[in-house]
Amino acid sequence: MITFRMNGLEVRAEEGSTLLDTAKFYGLEIPTLCHHEGLTPHGGCRLCLVEIGEGLRSKLVSSCTYPAEEGLVVRTDTTRVWAARRMMIELMLAMAPGSKVLQDMASQFNVTQVRFPLRNTECVLCGLCTRICAEQMDARAIGFQQRGLKRKISTPFDMRSEECRLCGACMYICPACQLRCQGPNADTAVCNGCLTMEPSCLEHYDDLQCWMYDAGRCGTCVRDKV
Amino acid sequence: MKHYRAHLLVCAGTGCVSCGSFKIKEALEEEIKKRNLQDEVQVVATGCNGFCERGPIVMVQPDGIFYQLLTVDDVPHLVEEHLIKGRPVPKLMYVPPAEKQPVPKMKDIEFFKHQRLIVLRNRGRIDPEKIEEYIAFDGYEALAKALTEMTPQTIIDEILASGLRGRGGAGFPTGKKWAACAREKRTPKYLICNGDEGDPGAFMDRSVLEADPHAVLEGMIIGARAIGAAKGYIYIRHEYPLALKRMEIAIGQARESGLLGEDILGSGFGFDLEVVEGAGAFVSGEESALIASVEGRIAMPRQRPPYPAQRGLWGRPTVINNVETWATVPNIIRRGAAWFSGLGTETSKGTKIFALVGKIANTGLVEVPMGITLREIVYGIGGGIPDKRDFKAVQIGGPSGGCLPAKMLDLPVDYESLTSAGAMMGSGGMIVMDDKTCMVDVAKYFLNFLQDESCGKCVSCREGTQRMYEIVKGITEGKGQESDLALLEELARITKDASMCGLGQTAGNPVLTTLRYFRHEYEAHILDKRCPAGVCKSLIRYVVLAEKCTGCQSCKKACPNDCIKGTLKDIHLIDQSHCIKCGACKEACKFEAIEEQRDEAIQII
Amino acid sequence: MAGKQKLTIQDLAKIREKTKSLMTIREGEGRARVTVHMGTCGIAAGARDIMDALLEEISKANIQDVIVTTSGCAGLCGAEPMMTIEFKNQPPVKYGHLTPEKLRKIFVQHILGGQMATDLVLAVGSETVY
Repeated sequence: MITFRMNGLEVRAEEGSTLLDTAKFYGLEIPTLCHHEGLTPHGGCRLCLVEIGEGLRSKLVSSCTYPAEEGLVVRTDTTRVWAARRMMIELMLAMAPGSKVLQDMASQFNVTQVRFPLRNTECVLCGLCTRICAEQMDARAIGFQQRGLKRKISTPFDMRSEECRLCGACMYICPACQLRCQGPNADTAVCNGCLTMEPSCLEHYDDLQCWMYDAGRCGTCVRDKV
Repeated sequence: MKHYRAHLLVCAGTGCVSCGSFKIKEALEEEIKKRNLQDEVQVVATGCNGFCERGPIVMVQPDGIFYQLLTVDDVPHLVEEHLIKGRPVPKLMYVPPAEKQPVPKMKDIEFFKHQRLIVLRNRGRIDPEKIEEYIAFDGYEALAKALTEMTPQTIIDEILASGLRGRGGAGFPTGKKWAACAREKRTPKYLICNGDEGDPGAFMDRSVLEADPHAVLEGMIIGARAIGAAKGYIYIRHEYPLALKRMEIAIGQARESGLLGEDILGSGFGFDLEVVEGAGAFVSGEESALIASVEGRIAMPRQRPPYPAQRGLWGRPTVINNVETWATVPNIIRRGAAWFSGLGTETSKGTKIFALVGKIANTGLVEVPMGITLREIVYGIGGGIPDKRDFKAVQIGGPSGGCLPAKMLDLPVDYESLTSAGAMMGSGGMIVMDDKTCMVDVAKYFLNFLQDESCGKCVSCREGTQRMYEIVKGITEGKGQESDLALLEELARITKDASMCGLGQTAGNPVLTTLRYFRHEYEAHILDKRCPAGVCKSLIRYVVLAEKCTGCQSCKKACPNDCIKGTLKDIHLIDQSHCIKCGACKEACKFEAIEEQRDEAIQII
Repeated sequence: MAGKQKLTIQDLAKIREKTKSLMTIREGEGRARVTVHMGTCGIAAGARDIMDALLEEISKANIQDVIVTTSGCAGLCGAEPMMTIEFKNQPPVKYGHLTPEKLRKIFVQHILGGQMATDLVLAVGSETVY
């Protein structure tokens, strides 16, 4: 067993587990996007960042990939972590403002503006689809291509794939296209309807547009604005 | 130890002895004793200088003056004039035939005289495709010593004691890395040489690989012995065909001579090397991405720990070092750790090769001791800025580094002082910029490079570099807004903080250093809509000077966009709203009546 | 010489002595050694043309006692193409900013005539190896 500190609490983890596994076990919430229990960790969305080390040597690492280490000091919610998380959400919103998962996270972390011109690529390159296709469905029909500015996910040579069995796993797991936020387009592409008392979508539609019924547990959109 | 103020090196090679150099030595010693200088001046007999037909030769150090064709009668005059009165004697000096003035010596040329060659010691004097020439200059002697007189542990201790730090950029102590890998029990272990050198403007690794490949080979074989590796890979980027070719030849010759393969030099130790060619990505210079590339996978970095020393190539303990680091190793083993750590500063030992390029009189590769100041490099070795322009900044460390302004010229070059100034040693690229360089444009250049080269995994790096580029590009096009600077700074900081690998972790540096030292330039672009250096085309205004215009209509005819108005003999006017800043009008004008205005704020007419 | 044979430590020492003496042309194998610097910087600046011109001049003059060799970058990349001429018992002489015309002048004056073309000389001597 590896012993280390997380948020001041002494925690124990098994050899080979990550900081995120440990946090989850102890009930500490760390937001994630590109992480999924059934898939290998990717470490791409940078939402699960935590601060390790102390003083001048402290740095941010993705908890989903960082292995538990004897004697490590971990803090899951510091100023640096929050500043980074909010910027990641903002950057991803600029790519896929139509994603409800991202919009919810924006509300949760009080991201109220997107200061970048929208790209509307509807994909945040989180890699969940490529990983589920390869690891769970054993098809490997899609993958990452190119790098940097030109990075995208597609089939080899963008041709119709013979490996694809049309299982729909990629669509199922995609955080951008899974549940579409139906709210009206705010000009900075952040709805934040869930932050206000009165969901702004009711000004335009008769029904609440988000799918937050969830057995009455959530109701974020009718929560008091803090 | 006695401290002599001068040494008289009397050549005692066969040629000079036969001309009577020993008599000269005796005469010198006698004269010096007579003048009571024996505690200040030492007479030493040396080996042959190569000037045999001009013997007897005496060289005076530290003056570096050669006296030739000496006779015993010359001695008293020489001692009186040169050593006591401090006036070298021209008529006894070496002067090439039929010339009135002495020819410049290498030791006098600013570019060469400040350099101290360790890694580049063979430059210009050996044929890299002949292993014999490498051996002629003490090549593979260190290997022989390492295999016969040292153990793996003592080799590592020597490298640790020397203070050698990785020359690829991060500056991690090489001995520590080797020790960590040597401790690992799992086999097989691997060595990798990182010859990817992706920084724009850096070409020292290329030079070593092309001109002295055996230095790298020797270093790696010694390293393999130290950590217990049986196989190594030399990763050379695809864009270096000559280096690839020369390295293949060198490996072939080393194998033929039994310096690679089994039972090297009869020691029982075996090691072999293979060349791997890169495929055109800057990110594959990052150690974990490089390892992935050697494994045949896409070059994308992975989370560390575990570090390559524990789990590297194919999950095995791997030491990966830069070309320059490997090439330094044989010198340390041959001459000793104390010799190496005699140069440099407290924390940064030895020498570093810099690729001195840009707006500088002497461009080339310079190997200098750590701790030398930027001023000495730029003005001493580099010869200053050409065309009588002013120094503006020096970019150190490539896209991961930063731009330092004139006020930092007295900064000593070592790992710590550069990092604290906001730049980075990096691989050693040093790009000098003059006052005609726009720092915002420089930031744009590096951001464009980074956004293209980012592997794309981390949102912070991929999106961060793209958005930073977008903003800076907008600023250079006159579209900047006041809120841009704060956003840019925030983005740069968070990109650095949140990214997983070195590329992202340093991607904010071009922006942060230019903002730190050249904020006024950004502000000029945004608030005044002008580019002080006159580079950003969108912020240049072409104007007709009324007092010089003759109304000849040449500019109007030259304009591709039809935006000059005026009739014959009347003063012409350029319509700024349609002007595409091509400059054709200025070129067409024979009366110098069109001015490229950069220093005035642009007002849209 | 290192060839198709595994070396021992004694072999290394022998090769060192033999090659070193050959390179300093002290044992009568040649009267001068000319090195054309052909690193990528040199090649990009036109070193191949210099090499071609040199070989042409040598064959025209029909001389046999000049050793021509190549080396890598000499360091002052801005002065490429560069060449180093080393006569027996004399320090090496570096020429820079070469063109085929300058090479012909140097060939006649220095290689054939034994006198440095001082207006074209960059420097005399070797670098400081620490």
